[in-house]
Amino acid sequence: MNLTTSIATAYSPPFRIVVKYFVAAIFSFVLLNFMLLINYQDINGHHFQPKILSITHIATLGFITMTIFGAMFQLVPVVLEVKLFSALLAELQFWIYLLGITGLVFKFWYFSSSLSFTLPAIFLNLAIFIFAFNIIASMTKVKIWNITGIYLASAIFWLVITAIAGLLLAINLDHPYIKIDHLQYLKLHANVAFIGWVTMVVMGVSFKLIPMFTLSHGYKLELAKWALGLINFGLLGINWIMHYPDTEFYILIFGTAIFIGLILYLIQIYIMFKKRIRKKLDIGLKFSAIALVMLGFSTLLGFSFLFFEYEYKPNLTLIYGFMIIVAYISTLIVGQMYKIVPFLIWYHKYSSKVGIENVPMLKDMFNENLAEYNLFLMLAGIITSVFAFLSQINLLLLSGFALLFLSSIIFSFNMYKIFRS
Amino acid sequence: MITKDMKISEILSNYPDTIDVFIRLSPHFKKLQNKVLRKALASRVTVQQAASIAGVDLNKLLFELNKAINKETNFNNEIFREEMKPTINEKPEFLNSISQEKIIQFDVRPIIDSGKDPFLDIMSKVKNLKDDEVLLIINSFEPIPLYAVLETKGFNHWTEKIDDAFKVYFFKSKSEQTNVETEQKADINLSNYDKIIELDVRELPPPEPMMKILEKLAEVDDKTVLLVHHHREPMMLYPKLEERGFKAITNKIEENYYKVVIFKKRNIDI
Repeated sequence: MNLTTSIATAYSPPFRIVVKYFVAAIFSFVLLNFMLLINYQDINGHHFQPKILSITHIATLGFITMTIFGAMFQLVPVVLEVKLFSALLAELQFWIYLLGITGLVFKFWYFSSSLSFTLPAIFLNLAIFIFAFNIIASMTKVKIWNITGIYLASAIFWLVITAIAGLLLAINLDHPYIKIDHLQYLKLHANVAFIGWVTMVVMGVSFKLIPMFTLSHGYKLELAKWALGLINFGLLGINWIMHYPDTEFYILIFGTAIFIGLILYLIQIYIMFKKRIRKKLDIGLKFSAIALVMLGFSTLLGFSFLFFEYEYKPNLTLIYGFMIIVAYISTLIVGQMYKIVPFLIWYHKYSSKVGIENVPMLKDMFNENLAEYNLFLMLAGIITSVFAFLSQINLLLLSGFALLFLSSIIFSFNMYKIFRS
Repeated sequence: MITKDMKISEILSNYPDTIDVFIRLSPHFKKLQNKVLRKALASRVTVQQAASIAGVDLNKLLFELNKAINKETNFNNEIFREEMKPTINEKPEFLNSISQEKIIQFDVRPIIDSGKDPFLDIMSKVKNLKDDEVLLIINSFEPIPLYAVLETKGFNHWTEKIDDAFKVYFFKSKSEQTNVETEQKADINLSNYDKIIELDVRELPPPEPMMKILEKLAEVDDKTVLLVHHHREPMMLYPKLEERGFKAITNKIEENYYKVVIFKKRNIDI
């Protein structure tokens, strides 16, 4: 029997591409915190303003989605046991995507300039379609589906919806045509992006990574399945009902479904943490655990929005967005980067040398004390900023953002150390 | 867990209470109570050697030792249940109810008595076995190496001892719905391997399992297989094994328990 064909090597993820996405994401993260800091006076009031929109998209496209793209190229082959359909497309996608982000962020910033909204939106859509195609083409080869795979597939669907909704909004900004309030569409775009795309990915991936890092087992994934169903149901419902007038009642139903789904997810994760064998949480897992608590707060806040006119309360939408983007997602990404990036570099540079020469341990690859400061500053920055939004004290917001910026510098320094090690 | 290659001294210093187990199993071991003798002998002798010296069944000794430390450390029971299935497992329900036609009986004692190795005959029986059939091997000793070999082909076993004969039932395990690739990969003749090194990495976070496994490869030669107890399928490990000229066969035993058999690649395969 011929055993020369290698099944295993086919799965090894494309290191260079993943690193490229991660480096771009880390750069965007520092840029995001820098922009918040120098524009702190503009970060208040209504959320539909050029600078806030611009900074938001540095966060969502440049940092968050860039990270997820990189992570997916890394994880999909490993989790679903398939080869990435095309590394070339992943490379191509990166440059188109980068062009799109840069264009869009500039256009939001110089809102009234003669630049186009539609053009960068088309680039972004193109990049996202390439991504979706690449991953779905990889997924067609999957032999055994697991819960993570189904979550990721759902997430890609919602990513595409987010992109299309974004494109429609962009066209509308160039040539107004949307009859109903375009802020309604914006809300759809944002909800689908954060819940359908980002959170679905977070959920799916966490079912793999949390047990892997904490060595947790002996639990059922029933709640994860319910969460998947409820959130997809809720999002589909909201997307459908959005186009009709007087839909408060339906929004309440679908919103509640999403809320319950998220709560079930959090309970599931709590169970997984409870059943872990490694009791001590390392720095990456501390970030992650705090981030998931922040997801809990954000979920409660979002749910409360179903019951009152939140948009007229000063800064409440901003707090919501800040909680989601910074407190929940950024904290989670920073934490997961502390886990994944050292492993990625270690695997690439050192795994072939194990047993042949001395190789560093993961925790030797970055300064763990600094990482603790990173966590502390980030948490202090988040709490200070939220309090500043509530009290509307500008100086407090400045200090909150300063803390966050400092923490992002520490983070990037540590990441630099890992890449160089 | 205690393996046959561990030194007696190592066991006694880590688990002092196991002295009772030794003594209970054979009076030969009473010497171990003497500190001087213990020092002199126990540091050189492995469990396997000790068992043959004292005339105790190695598997029984291992089982009892592991049972003893198991109580102490409250260590995950399943490891031992897996290893020691024949002695502690209940007879699987379906073996009682299965019709006799479905049981393919193969008494290898005549072959062994004539001085031949029944391995290839067994493998050809296995090959012709249908999914719902059970292979019953009857032998004068417990064919422990065969368990590992057939496990890689997706078989579970259940063993009973009647008088002097060991009756081993091999059957397709239900949780064993491995994909086609694994099945193909598993189709390798392991008869040439006579040493199995075991490694349990289930309590280690990444990338330590990979490190431990790669470090262990130095001990794996043409006559040795490395059996790794893992909590997940080590997808990232495969390319690294490939680089070093090794191959792996992974079998899912249950959720969070995979057995990875690693061996040196050869140029000519059967």
